[in-house]
Amino acid sequence: MTREILRRLELLNQLSLTEEEKESVMAFFDAREADAACLESIDTSEVERMVHVMPIMTVVREDVVSQPYSREELQRSAPETDEGYWCVPRVVE
Amino acid sequence: MSFYNAKAENVSSPSVILDDMILTKDMPTTAGSRMLDSYMSLFDAEAVSKLRAAGYAIAGKAAVGEFAFDLIGESAYGGALVRDGKLVSAACEILLSGEADAAVTLDVNGSVRRASAQSGLVSLKPTYGTVSRFGTVPVACSGECVSVVAETADKCAEIFSVIVGHDAKDGTSLSASQCQAALARASAPKKVCVIEDFLQEVDADVKDKIDAACAAFEKAGATVEKISVPTLLAARAAWNILFSAELCNNVSRYDGVKYGYRAESFSGIDELYTNSRTEAFGKLLKTAIIYGSETLSTENYMKVYDKALRTRRVIAEKFAELFAEYDAVLLPAVSKMAYTEEMVAEKHDLCYVENLYTAPASVTGLPSVVCGGVALIGPALSDGKLLSYAKIVTGEEN
Amino acid sequence: MRYETVIGLEVHVELATKSKIFCSCSAHSYGAEPNTHVCPACSGMPGMLPVVNKRVVDYGMKAGLMLNCDINRITTFDKKSYYYPDLPAAYQTTQWFAPVAVNGLVEIETSKGKKGVRIKQIHMEEDAGKLVHDIREDTTHVDFNRTSVPLIEIVSQPDLSSAEEVEAYLERLKNLLRFARVAECEMAHGTMRCDVNLSVRPEGSDKLGVRTEMKNMNSVEAIKRAIEYETARHIDALENHTEILVQETRRWDDIKGKSYAMRSKETAGDYRYFPDPNVMPVQIDDEWFESIKSSLPEFPEVKQKKYEEALGLSSYDAEQITRSIALCECFEAAYAVTGNAKDAANWMISEVMSILNARQMTYDQLTLDGRALGELIKLVSDGTVGRANGKKILAAMFDDTAISPKIYAETNGMIVSNDTGLIEKTVKAAIAEAPKAVEDYKNGKEKALMAIYGKCMKELRGNCDPQVLKTILIDMINQM
Repeated sequence: MTREILRRLELLNQLSLTEEEKESVMAFFDAREADAACLESIDTSEVERMVHVMPIMTVVREDVVSQPYSREELQRSAPETDEGYWCVPRVVE
Repeated sequence: MSFYNAKAENVSSPSVILDDMILTKDMPTTAGSRMLDSYMSLFDAEAVSKLRAAGYAIAGKAAVGEFAFDLIGESAYGGALVRDGKLVSAACEILLSGEADAAVTLDVNGSVRRASAQSGLVSLKPTYGTVSRFGTVPVACSGECVSVVAETADKCAEIFSVIVGHDAKDGTSLSASQCQAALARASAPKKVCVIEDFLQEVDADVKDKIDAACAAFEKAGATVEKISVPTLLAARAAWNILFSAELCNNVSRYDGVKYGYRAESFSGIDELYTNSRTEAFGKLLKTAIIYGSETLSTENYMKVYDKALRTRRVIAEKFAELFAEYDAVLLPAVSKMAYTEEMVAEKHDLCYVENLYTAPASVTGLPSVVCGGVALIGPALSDGKLLSYAKIVTGEEN
Repeated sequence: MRYETVIGLEVHVELATKSKIFCSCSAHSYGAEPNTHVCPACSGMPGMLPVVNKRVVDYGMKAGLMLNCDINRITTFDKKSYYYPDLPAAYQTTQWFAPVAVNGLVEIETSKGKKGVRIKQIHMEEDAGKLVHDIREDTTHVDFNRTSVPLIEIVSQPDLSSAEEVEAYLERLKNLLRFARVAECEMAHGTMRCDVNLSVRPEGSDKLGVRTEMKNMNSVEAIKRAIEYETARHIDALENHTEILVQETRRWDDIKGKSYAMRSKETAGDYRYFPDPNVMPVQIDDEWFESIKSSLPEFPEVKQKKYEEALGLSSYDAEQITRSIALCECFEAAYAVTGNAKDAANWMISEVMSILNARQMTYDQLTLDGRALGELIKLVSDGTVGRANGKKILAAMFDDTAISPKIYAETNGMIVSNDTGLIEKTVKAAIAEAPKAVEDYKNGKEKALMAIYGKCMKELRGNCDPQVLKTILIDMINQM
């Protein structure tokens, strides 16, 4: 982990860390080296990745429409709305 | 300092306290974060609907650490909860005070199991997929489970039998027959193993709990063997990567646009996002987000994330081998019987270390019962059986 | 030096399902009130989990089979992360590791002949919402109606080399996907959108040049213009060193006829794909696969050949009808009833298609029951119903697909009468009222007869065999 990578990760995650937070994130990454070494010791050359812990398949849903919530309900906790839209500062195209 | 984020009036019995990761339509759900400070869900979690339908009153919402993946709740926006110098969990404190009969919580990274071990309570982190995650605040979807805490194993079994079941609204939900199978109880186990590798760094009083559990099993006629399976130690490293990556992805939806916290001042969309998230999120969460996103970067994906997914399978296969011989695996749930504020002040990311004991069940989705301060892990769908074994450890009367 | 253009397309097609891909909101967002087809799931609220819509997989498979792809019998979903206000969860669920269809081939025909375009893959994914920039100057308004509407993205290999080929390829995709009834493919509605990847290299070279991408193109004409412009810009850069080409995303301004480099963020393109833990693998078992395969239509050119060779239609007629699967199905059902292909084709082209045009409906919107059309054609051709009344009945059948032409003709008095007494009575009255016309006819003005004939036909409400009426009319005048 470098300061440059960290700066990029902040941008990527829409976060702005304080100097103190940056220090502790750097230390955190150092501590993860032990995790990396531990994984290194596991032979995974013969196994498939395991995304889902239970070996089941998707149960598909029928293509049926339902609309249980109103726009007013959905926008009840919205910081800003206008004419039925959520609002953000102008996104320059 | 309050154990409650929301408290219901005139609660009838029997009652259940929810941790604040479980969505309710009549009380706010904050996930312990400033981001969702007064967030009201439009719907109840499936587990809540089932509890209400079965006649259980909801006593309120217990405080949790921010997005519930921390050590024991210390990262809550409302602050850490301390009793007698020890960090405590709100849900467990509410149970100990007798203000609710059971707690239903989201076990993301073991904090509920750690708390119940330290409080002398019984908890069940069920087999992944037996309890619907519909209506839980998503953090680490590949492993987190809706869990139960109570004073006794039988109470846990009772609540579990209410909330278990297939749910078409959760694509990872197991079939009705699989869910039913998880309820089967048992008498004593024939063979139990203790994984010695997990005893290296635990305090003497934790070892005492392990010894006591072993003695109880032997007294009940079980064979107890101490074995070494160092591979299982890698569960933590794998889980740290997987849960952080999933967490990073899941909390990216909180951006100050649709609902939740929005920064007072910003200019432009990126500042709106960045200021809202920076102001509303705590340090541990920010650390986890940064780490999780790094594990998924193009350069790291194969080396880190994919490696963790493959390690998960190695661990699952190792457990399968063990369960061909043993009915249950015995592990500590914690390294010490109490955490202090100083510990987390010094190391805010202690949950990435102390989850050594809870990660094996989190990363594999296997059921785990904490009882008498120790943890039992069993094969998939052995939830009811583990609760029966727990009674041997706690000395609970039939 | 001579250059060649190398083009690959990523075509996004909105699938014509009723509900969205992972939630049950309506997928028909075009023209709806903002944020009325939205739920907690597709507005990024916590707690809802994705549940896969079967029809999306059906259509993904159909599209794959129409484009000669191999179908991945276990197909999985992945998450793609980025921040933008049109993406409420800040991730898009898409297919990265095991898309539904791979390794396809689409045949196109241009002035240079036939050519195969290889398809790399087709993946299923959710659409993003819509941003509206013209309501308030300082604000962007966000509409999530389109969020999570199912899409397929069809990724071609860089096998295209001209605007003409691109146009032919897009037409072909549109035709095939509409034929399989999986999508509307209407660029003007945004149900088909296109990213163009283009590079230029010296002819004969096997090394690809610097590639630029133009995203979200939504008209074929604009795509053609953009390709011409970009090709010229690349050649100019290579020949005259007017600029250094860089791999970038460019925006096409169709009004100015120019492309512009888009300001890109430092973190652009870092999507951190990973398998979605909430969506289990979708397993397409043999039964499911076969049911989809057997539901596919014949390719349009197969039908066209059959219509010409087996049914004896002209190539013009066959081509007209195979413009839409709905026309084909209607025609085939009508033909099955009448046994006369030419007659059925005439009705399709001169009557059915013109009603669709007049009502500004697409051919795919035809819901007419072909068997009922066949019955109608029989009624007219065997003289039970007059041709003009036949057209009226057809119009009524467009409004109400439950109408039986025979019953409709009977209840509305449209059955041709064989009652010569009634015809004679009508003719007699008409002759009496038009002595001038009778006079003219007798003096050799053949046309004068038509006025009386028309009046009689009107009086008889069309329910009369034209030949019978004419004979009686001439006989009666001659007898005077």
